[in-house]
Amino acid sequence: MKLLRELYDYREMIFSLVQRDLKGRYKGSLLGFLWTFLNPLLQLCVYTLVFSVIMRNGIEDFYLFLFVALVPWMFFSACVASAAGLIRAQQDMVKKIYFPREVLPVAFVTSQFINMFYSLLVVLAVLMIAGKGINIFAVLSLPIIMVIEYVMALGIALITSAITVYFRDMEYLLGIITMAWQFLTPIFYSVDMVPARLMPVFNLNPMTSVIIAYRDILYYKQLPKMETLIQAIICGILLLAAGLFVFGRLKRHFAEEL
Amino acid sequence: MKECNAVEVHRVVKKFKVYQDKGHTIKERALFKRRRKYEERTVLDEISFEIPKGQAVGLIGHNGCGKSTTLKLLTRIMYPDAGTVEMQGRVSSLIELGAGFHPDMSGRQNIYINASIFGLTKKEIDSRLHNIIAFSELEEYIDNPVRTYSSGMYMRLAFSVAINVDADILLIDEILAVGDANFQAKCFNRLREIKSGGTTIVIVSHAMGQIEQICDRSIWIHDGKIKADGIPREVDPIYLDFMGQQRQTVSEKKEECSNTDVLPQECSKEPQEPENKKRWGNGLARIKNISMKDVNGKSRSVFKVGEDIIFKIHYCVNKTVEDACFGIGIFRSDGVQCFGTNTKIEQIPLFHLEEDGYFTLNLKEVSLLPGEYWVDIAIECGYGIPVDYFTKALRFETYSEINDVGIARINHTWKSGSQIF
Repeated sequence: MKLLRELYDYREMIFSLVQRDLKGRYKGSLLGFLWTFLNPLLQLCVYTLVFSVIMRNGIEDFYLFLFVALVPWMFFSACVASAAGLIRAQQDMVKKIYFPREVLPVAFVTSQFINMFYSLLVVLAVLMIAGKGINIFAVLSLPIIMVIEYVMALGIALITSAITVYFRDMEYLLGIITMAWQFLTPIFYSVDMVPARLMPVFNLNPMTSVIIAYRDILYYKQLPKMETLIQAIICGILLLAAGLFVFGRLKRHFAEEL
Repeated sequence: MKECNAVEVHRVVKKFKVYQDKGHTIKERALFKRRRKYEERTVLDEISFEIPKGQAVGLIGHNGCGKSTTLKLLTRIMYPDAGTVEMQGRVSSLIELGAGFHPDMSGRQNIYINASIFGLTKKEIDSRLHNIIAFSELEEYIDNPVRTYSSGMYMRLAFSVAINVDADILLIDEILAVGDANFQAKCFNRLREIKSGGTTIVIVSHAMGQIEQICDRSIWIHDGKIKADGIPREVDPIYLDFMGQQRQTVSEKKEECSNTDVLPQECSKEPQEPENKKRWGNGLARIKNISMKDVNGKSRSVFKVGEDIIFKIHYCVNKTVEDACFGIGIFRSDGVQCFGTNTKIEQIPLFHLEEDGYFTLNLKEVSLLPGEYWVDIAIECGYGIPVDYFTKALRFETYSEINDVGIARINHTWKSGSQIF
């Protein structure tokens, strides 16, 4: 509770860090903010080229099937891997100024989240232009799963950013971990293709239910199943609780360790 | 916590682990377990103090005594290993300037970022924006990207933000060295304003003058303990005195090491050693041994302004020197000659040196102001022919509690014509 109040007091800091990140990222480039949209669009072009022309497979509109899952995954993996170096990157600030340390991961995850939001706009536009169309009711449920994913990503970012202060290996280790994680999450394939006996393992993966929900909404144009959502919510809350706990324990000695 | 206090520090202990070679990766940690040996250094040892609201306190002490750590504990960047730190009110710290500045963004945008890191809301920043820009004197450049600023402009902007964050408690670490003299004066005046507005201030500084001008109280921290606590005019001189003596023990140690090579070895007939740049002369006689003592006969190399310094110079004679005289010169470390004389100038008749001996020179009430000084000593003969001219033969330092400036202190008194003081 105290933490929430403090974070609220520092809302302007979160806001301006997010703004700095978003605005500063493409500053000085010719196309500027346009890159936020151009980036996912160009990526989509590459995937379309590869999977519709070269590597054809059985799934209909595979590039869309892939892309609706890849966008939320990229948000998540950025929060796992890039968040690791977060505290260390801001060490001048951490060593010299007091502010609730949670501000840094919150701002980072939020700015990644906003990036994902823009990418999703591109996805929606493409879905309509490609003739696939969207289901308005399903899309209206999109924010729910987005918030759940945000909570999960924040939980993970809190853990990785705090631990990396003490173990620099984490930063490199996480690169490999996220790659493995990516292939163990039904992104490049459908969850139906997973062997039944491996399913319990897949259900342990918090991202499985999230990706399924995104795909239900955007690709299959249907409301996500209740059980998928509940599973995701429970995972999200557990991750956030763990993240806050770990971060809270480790943050006291940040200034000395850096 | 008492109502009237802004800060209460109670029996705070802070220890640091000093690693010889700390492994940051798992491999290093696993493989080199033995390398992870560390010493635990107690930086603060059960320190307690209270600061009433509105008081300005200066923390003084030598480097590494724990004063910056104390400030960091107050800022809540670090947490004590034992004891408690309690504060009442909003804390702002002028420790890091320009935190979060983005070089590609304009000065104005950076004000928002920087001020928000100090915990200000957008509304609060909006209302201060005008003051901040005016204070920085950067009106014309405020919408240019910060990367186009000179370093002075950059610091001015950063300082303006920091000093306009109104806080109940303001913590400052050695930062009044920003910008040119004008801007410094401005910062100083602003600090005084802040203080008169009732803000509690804690400053860490080596500049005693600053502390005396702003603070009501000095706390001297030495080796993790509070050594003295009181009004600056009383504490600061004791501290300076102590530091002067410390310096002396350090330079004594240095001398022990260098004694053998600085002073001439034997009465060598040919003074063509590598040191011949430092000394020259025809070598008929050689300065052999020089000592520098205070009135109590104790060897020293650090003196308080106004103390007597007594030199004793031994010499040995290789061949009779006719019509000789002794001389001395004192130079400040930047080469300014502060004093010079010899026996001839002072009407002591020329003499012959036939055998080894010594002479003493008693400098009364040396009032050279704090600094480092070098002493040249010479034996001459005839009309200025050097027999042994020994430059930088000795070095001494002076210290003082008074901050007067110049080369030497001139005895003086003040008197007011109209009895205003």
